[in-house]
Amino acid sequence: MKTYRIYALILRFIYLFKHSYDRITDAFYWPVIDLIIWGLTSSFFMAFSPNASQIILIVLSGQMFWLIVWRAQYEITVNLLEELWNKNLINIFVSPIKFSEWITSYIIVGIIKVAFSFPFAMLVAYLLYKIKIVFFGWYLIPIIILLFMTGWWVGFFVAGIILRFGTKIQTLAWTFVWAIGPFAAIYYPVSILPGWAQKIALFIPASYVFEGAREIIYNGYTDPSKFYISFIINLVYLILSIIFLYSSFKKVLEKGLIKVY
Amino acid sequence: MAVLQVKNLTKKFGSFTAVDNISFELKEGEILSLLGPNGAGKTTTIQMLLGVLTPTKGEVYYFDKDLTSNREEILEKVNFSSTYTQLPGLLTVGENLSFISYLYNIENRKQRINKIVEIFRLKKLLKEQMKDLSSGQLTRVNLAKAFINYPKVLLLDEPTASLDPETANYIRNFLINEREKFNISIIWTSHNMAEVEEVCDRVIFINKGKIIADNTPEKLAKTIEICHVELNIPDGLKRTIEICQNQKVIYRLAGRNIIVDLKEKEIPEFLKSLMDKGVNYDQISIDKPTLEDYFLQVAKKN
Repeated sequence: MKTYRIYALILRFIYLFKHSYDRITDAFYWPVIDLIIWGLTSSFFMAFSPNASQIILIVLSGQMFWLIVWRAQYEITVNLLEELWNKNLINIFVSPIKFSEWITSYIIVGIIKVAFSFPFAMLVAYLLYKIKIVFFGWYLIPIIILLFMTGWWVGFFVAGIILRFGTKIQTLAWTFVWAIGPFAAIYYPVSILPGWAQKIALFIPASYVFEGAREIIYNGYTDPSKFYISFIINLVYLILSIIFLYSSFKKVLEKGLIKVY
Repeated sequence: MAVLQVKNLTKKFGSFTAVDNISFELKEGEILSLLGPNGAGKTTTIQMLLGVLTPTKGEVYYFDKDLTSNREEILEKVNFSSTYTQLPGLLTVGENLSFISYLYNIENRKQRINKIVEIFRLKKLLKEQMKDLSSGQLTRVNLAKAFINYPKVLLLDEPTASLDPETANYIRNFLINEREKFNISIIWTSHNMAEVEEVCDRVIFINKGKIIADNTPEKLAKTIEICHVELNIPDGLKRTIEICQNQKVIYRLAGRNIIVDLKEKEIPEFLKSLMDKGVNYDQISIDKPTLEDYFLQVAKKN
């Protein structure tokens, strides 16, 4: 892998971010709106059940952690769409860039964006509700890594579908990740899901992370095995999703990159 | 020495054969034109030469190395420009050239970008977003992008389309000079036959996915035997028409002018027969067959 080529694509998306009001809105406006609405809703619920003192922390930390999954997958799928909308994929692949460098650049762009929008959301949560996400301490590291992994495999899987079928199914770039949301148990425990949904949640690695995060809020610690299980499932899905994306890319090369849009 | 060798290249889309078992070479410093009617297989061929379309069969070698297994090394020395592809519209010209430059291992990156900007007259456009440029300006940016990595082989798909005549001429001269200075090899597609005759050393004519001719533009034009002889006849036009009819020669009238289609060797005899009948002409022009005549004849046949 050549770092200058990865840097080229990162630069391309940083330039885009600078010019695109859509992207700036996605990075800052929506997270703040979500925090305000969910924070106020949680405060309202707390007024009825004062014993549930942790409710704001559970809901807002869930919301902010989900931001990592959403942002990581969004940077893969929407950046791919950007290339298709601009018919730019051919300009990239007539250069010596490798497939691995291409997807690495998407991953790094996602990390950079999270590095800006997550602390921003943390600051807003603190200013509005005095919620400190640093409360999670060192647990934040595995939580963030595992949620990134979830975002990446979702992103690569959706990108593979978009490459095969083109922009006519571009809505998946925004919507698909929400399909796993209910099973990820972002705001509520897996135990309140119906039986069949609990079985699905077993295969959703983010569900272990959110369960663990809630345990930390209640008890100050969690069983690390939750994170190990999440890591293993994430890793398997990540490998499968990259294989799927690569096979979609090969398939596209059979009809020509110029014809994908 | 061949910098590019194409061996038995074939591309099928389902039952449709877009490119049918073509083989050719591009020599160092050569400008080769791929010509053919729309849908002949030119763009499909170029895509396979760039590695962005997988051939059904056949091989592509650059600098004696197989493209599939040496893609990274080869594409450092190859580039491409087409009027039919775009660079990101929201990015400025400067930003596009900057990010593209990082896709290649270029020494003195800033210096190279400045040079390219100067050559393609882009200084005033550097801060303009691509979406705001005219089609001619876009073509110039695309060409600048194609030159950014000091390519040894360039694939240009209609490089002067959308350019005004002065800029098109400037770009043609620039490309010819670059070839002379750096021995760049170029594959050039165009629908401007006069341009191809002026710039290209060799023409490969593709039709229905097959190579039907491979020669210099002059030699291809010479395969058309008919010249257009235009005569201005102040007196004796009726007699001239009679001569044409008697000799079964194709002609058409344009005022006091008559345009006669003749083989080159038949011209002296035809002019003598005019003199014998006392026909005087005060102007004569003979248009020798061009590449365009060849193109039209092939297109007509198919």
